[in-house]
Amino acid sequence: MKQPLALTQKQLISGLSLILAALFLLSLFVGSNPIPLFQAARDTLLDTPSVIALIFSEVRLPRALIALFTGATLGLCGAAMQGLLRNPLASPGLIGSASGAALGAVCMLYFGMSSITTMVLPAGGIIGALAATMLVYLLAGRNAGTLTLILAGVAINALALALISLLLNLAPSPYAVREIVLWMMGSIANHSMDDFQIMLPGVLLGWFLLIGTGRSLDALTLGEETANSMGFSLPRLRWRIFIAIALAVGSAISITGSIGFIGLVVPHLLRPLVDHQPSRLLLASAIGGAILLLAADICVRLFPAGTDIKVGVLTSLVGAPFFLYLIIKSRRFVL
Amino acid sequence: MAKEAQQYQVNHEKIEELLSLKPDLILASAYSNRALIQLMQKLGHQVETFPLPSDIEGIQANITRMAQLLGQEKRGQQLVEQMSQRIDQVIKQQPAVHPKALFYQPNHYTSGRNTLQDTALRVAGWRNLAAELGIEGYNPIDIEDLLMADPEQLFTSPYAPNSNSLAEQQLSHPALQRVTAGRKMIEIDYKYWICGGPMIADAIEQLHRSLPQ
Repeated sequence: MKQPLALTQKQLISGLSLILAALFLLSLFVGSNPIPLFQAARDTLLDTPSVIALIFSEVRLPRALIALFTGATLGLCGAAMQGLLRNPLASPGLIGSASGAALGAVCMLYFGMSSITTMVLPAGGIIGALAATMLVYLLAGRNAGTLTLILAGVAINALALALISLLLNLAPSPYAVREIVLWMMGSIANHSMDDFQIMLPGVLLGWFLLIGTGRSLDALTLGEETANSMGFSLPRLRWRIFIAIALAVGSAISITGSIGFIGLVVPHLLRPLVDHQPSRLLLASAIGGAILLLAADICVRLFPAGTDIKVGVLTSLVGAPFFLYLIIKSRRFVL
Repeated sequence: MAKEAQQYQVNHEKIEELLSLKPDLILASAYSNRALIQLMQKLGHQVETFPLPSDIEGIQANITRMAQLLGQEKRGQQLVEQMSQRIDQVIKQQPAVHPKALFYQPNHYTSGRNTLQDTALRVAGWRNLAAELGIEGYNPIDIEDLLMADPEQLFTSPYAPNSNSLAEQQLSHPALQRVTAGRKMIEIDYKYWICGGPMIADAIEQLHRSLPQ
């Protein structure tokens, strides 16, 4: 087999990390006003921070952090899901986890629940994500083919999106209806540090659960029976990954809305670079997802002020053609 | 005023409904259905279209015109004088240095030039940063631009209190309170802005009382 790029894991991760760090910095620089970033960062340490320090610490930093953590979550969960289901089209967006999470968050936000405590928002997201993921998995059956799984995902996605529209139409707030787009396309604009802190616990917990699933996923590439005989318990692995995805995706999406295609595209792009090894793919996809979302968010900000394009529009514009390419490719395999 | 208005029948801008009421005078606004107004005029009804005022003079002109139409010139004049007196009183007490303020509504909307809020703020003794930033009418303001303008006070007009949405959550962005040195956003009722009337004096007095001592 031809080996296009013989990178060791270390080289790949450090290369991706460098790109990520550069994009993160760039993301802090891009905004509607040019501000002296280093002075702003220094000023945040003052007792009464200056205006530029406020812009840095309360507007740009949370935006960059939310893009980084959400992108990483989607990339990582996409890789874990594709490994677990051994299905190239599995991803939080297509399997319904993301729209389920958005539905859960919408239930909490618009109907007075979030006045109890802000943490009900990610809780709703987590429950919604878990319910949608489990539902698709049960609908498709244990050894579902690619097509069945995607069909089940389409059905649950459509149901979740319809319920989101319905709930937002019924919500008491006069602003709710206009926010349908926000939940369906996803946006990381206009968030505060509070929002980042709200999503952080669930995201970190989800990541933590996914660490160490790599070896089981590697074993799973040899088939379920082989993995079983090697001592890996599949039901336990499945639960662990589903719960991890619900925690991480549910928390992130409850803040950003459903951002499409990152979880699908990133693992595919990186898989050849990690020798098709799921264990190596996990970390690489996390960094790749963060890179993709940060880059998309920077692009969104480069549009003239006032256009307010949602970041999910951009990721879908990139992701949808790629999805078609995957379908065509998988058709060639079947035929 | 809302309570007094409740005893009158609501019409839904439907031609048959209007005709069956046999009105002597029809009042319309800039947002009324043009075709309907023309049709009613063709049928021989008197239709008077009132502009939406964005300044005190506009409000007073509307009151005077309405009083004339209703044959109540004296009451109209009284209303205008009362309003002018209260506003003149506030203008006399304007501080030497006008502090910086702006209106901030859900979805980042603010009131720039040619809005009632702009007029009220300036009469009450504030600077309207939104107008100074070149914003015309009701338009969104970028949060970075807002912070850069460094307002000393923010005002908001709750449109639907006790409801929650992402748009309304924007008002509790922590940066907004920190930029005004911990001063909380002040709520000015939405009823003053929906259409300009003599109650604008209440809003101006409230804005004036909000000036830092």
